[in-house]
Amino acid sequence: MISLQDVSFGYAGTERPALSRVNLEFLPGEFSLVCGATGSGKSTLLRILNGLAPHFTGGSLSGSLILNGKDVTGSKPHELAAQVGFVNQQPESSFVSDTVKQELVYGMEQLGFSREQMASSLERVAGLLEIEELLDRPLSWLSGGQQQRVAIASALAAGQKILLLDEPTSALDPEAAAEIVTVLKSLAHTHGITVILVEHRIERVIELVDSVVIVANDGLVTKGGYEQFENYHLVPPVIGISTELSWDLVTVSVSDAKTRWDQNPQSWKPLVNEHLHETVAMEINDLSVTYQELEAVSNVSFQVHAGEVVALMGKNGSGKSSVLWAIQGGGKRTTGSVKTQFGDPKSMSADERLCVLTLVPQKAADLLFLNSLADELSESDKFAQLTDSGTSKIFESLTGRLDPKIHPRDLSAGQQLALVLALQLVKGAGILLLDEPTRGLDYASKKSLAKQIRALRKEGKSVLVASHDVEFVALVADRVLELERGKLVSDKLATVALGVGSSNPTQISQITGEPGLLTLSQIEQALK
Amino acid sequence: MAKSITASSASPVSWWLLAITMAIVAGVSQSAFTQIVICAAALVAILIFREEAPWSRSVKFYLFLAGFVVVARVLFRIVFNIQNPEDPIALDLPGFSINLGFGPPVEIFGAVGVQALIGGATDGLRLAAIILSIGMASSLANPRTLLRSTPSALYEIASAISVAINLAPQMISSLQRVRKARSLRGRSKGLGSMAGTVIPVLEDAIDSSLSLAASMDSRGFGRRGNLSKALIVGARLSSLLAVGFLSVGSFALLVGQTQTMGWLLIAVGIVASFATIRINSKSQIRTRFEPVKFQLFDAVLSALSAVLLVGAFMGWFS
Repeated sequence: MISLQDVSFGYAGTERPALSRVNLEFLPGEFSLVCGATGSGKSTLLRILNGLAPHFTGGSLSGSLILNGKDVTGSKPHELAAQVGFVNQQPESSFVSDTVKQELVYGMEQLGFSREQMASSLERVAGLLEIEELLDRPLSWLSGGQQQRVAIASALAAGQKILLLDEPTSALDPEAAAEIVTVLKSLAHTHGITVILVEHRIERVIELVDSVVIVANDGLVTKGGYEQFENYHLVPPVIGISTELSWDLVTVSVSDAKTRWDQNPQSWKPLVNEHLHETVAMEINDLSVTYQELEAVSNVSFQVHAGEVVALMGKNGSGKSSVLWAIQGGGKRTTGSVKTQFGDPKSMSADERLCVLTLVPQKAADLLFLNSLADELSESDKFAQLTDSGTSKIFESLTGRLDPKIHPRDLSAGQQLALVLALQLVKGAGILLLDEPTRGLDYASKKSLAKQIRALRKEGKSVLVASHDVEFVALVADRVLELERGKLVSDKLATVALGVGSSNPTQISQITGEPGLLTLSQIEQALK
Repeated sequence: MAKSITASSASPVSWWLLAITMAIVAGVSQSAFTQIVICAAALVAILIFREEAPWSRSVKFYLFLAGFVVVARVLFRIVFNIQNPEDPIALDLPGFSINLGFGPPVEIFGAVGVQALIGGATDGLRLAAIILSIGMASSLANPRTLLRSTPSALYEIASAISVAINLAPQMISSLQRVRKARSLRGRSKGLGSMAGTVIPVLEDAIDSSLSLAASMDSRGFGRRGNLSKALIVGARLSSLLAVGFLSVGSFALLVGQTQTMGWLLIAVGIVASFATIRINSKSQIRTRFEPVKFQLFDAVLSALSAVLLVGAFMGWFS
């Protein structure tokens, strides 16, 4: 059992406390979800529970941390390591050894276990996480899901009864994520381990958790059940629909919501793309990318029209990024051609490409390098030879006005993305390629990104977005392409690809069973 | 089929031992031939034993650095030329005399002697040999195994070094990512491009080492048994003394003027190191699941290191 009593936490140099007067208690075998906006104190809350905050994060802590009835406030992470296990967002960055077995015993070696204890513990956790066959493999050979299992097993190897996880599924595709969440549930409910999970994508876990902790932006923290979502805006459609339609109970499972919907179906507006032109903006012919012996992309051909948003979906490693980079011309292209109004981007210089098309990579912040928002914007104007601060105009149209003195790295992930979009679009590129833009964004930021993309579409720009976020794709895409091991396996209208009976239905289409109804906003619009 | 011998057939400790002795030999030797042999040996070792691993990708960097050092040394000798009348002329360039407004005028270029060129090249090759020896160890030795095979008492230092070594390949991969991303912005020239590459790469490097350190600490790294404050301070003092005495002692021996003094200092250094290890081992509670084994290839490498070390002290390579 672990609890926080009257805990406040603040980082130096900020006025607003990250957490203020938090009282929380977690019971043995409890599976708890911690949620909050990006930049709220939810990761800090998790780190306080094992001493990483303030020892690794800086900042000042008041109040007390109680572990099994003992006050352990101020303990360092290694002093709590035997009781509390911690799993990071990216397992590969926290691995300390080369093979699975070495990784699993590392913690026990630090804690001074005998060889016999280690051997039996190893067997136990390997069985628990079903990784017996992987024990002798190098960590770098494992898939993302397997790596996450190993990270969880090593956090529990020394018999820890409390497991903390910081967005463990954020880098996983939906299938691998679902498997990890099921494992976590069984750890809590069958093995009595307290599992505390920070997660953005609430819909991935919500049906399985016992309690929900919400960290608000002002640092206030509340704990309870699903009823907490009633007045909360950062929720997935399955919860959103119950508050939107003022149902008496908050629904968290698709099947509950479906029952409720069937009792009283609502009217809704069909999705239409009134801006769709017949003009082909970009034609991709027979594109292949081969790295050494691996064929990452094979013979992919498709077209993108002006004013059209096309989503490129598929599992991790199916070749989505490779397709985008090959089209842009900066990445490897083994065979194939890309036709645009101005020719093939492969044969252009980097500057010329920016007048035709632009790519925003997974880590958009890599493109920012000046010390303030104003500097970035004016440098961009100079680069594009604009005199009327055109970049700020695009930026403001995307995200509104912001303090020009702010450092680009202090912007939220969503604002950084908007800034990069503005910088990249200023030379008038008509084609926009986006690589996994929603990673690490909360629901509100995703919505605002979707709005930005729709605004660009309205101007007649073409957008190709690689993503495995079904709900986000439903908000923006007109058409969905699906890649499987480098091959294009389907090319359908979004309403078909994400609709009832498809392999990737959105929550709303599962709930309502209406062909053509994909998103909550379609119902909202009809209500207005 | 017999398993072929690769970098991991020997423990990282053996590789580092060999690299350090090779560097010592390069440091004491005055002959260009020895330097060339060491450079070649390091390169051949890398080519034969290299495995596909993140840490082996830094080879190019070391090669570039070594080449740069040699070229820079020779260029320096040509530009800031000090003429020796007895030295036969190799390169007759027009000389300039630049008056800086203070002190004697600076002579640049002019007739360059053969000995001056050979001297420059040897100097450069010496540094190149040292760089390539270290490059050999860091691209062949697995930093994580190195961490596991260090004695408990040196664990803190070793882990700091391992985190640092891990940083290099991590920085190279972020550098590739950031440069690719930067190319998207189209601006290729100017100072901005330098800052634009360095800032995200450093950010990545710091993030990743912090996250590794946090993960190690969360899993119990740094845990100690009971040790009094006085003993902890004592251990730190004696470790500082050990390092100090050992370095000053080796320096004295290598310079070769104060032999007895040098040996004496080294003896004190060794005593201090044992004291440190003794005190620190008391506080360690760490155990090991699979101890790192000493293999035949380790014996070969260690023997080679011993021969080189003895040779360096006996003056075989000068």
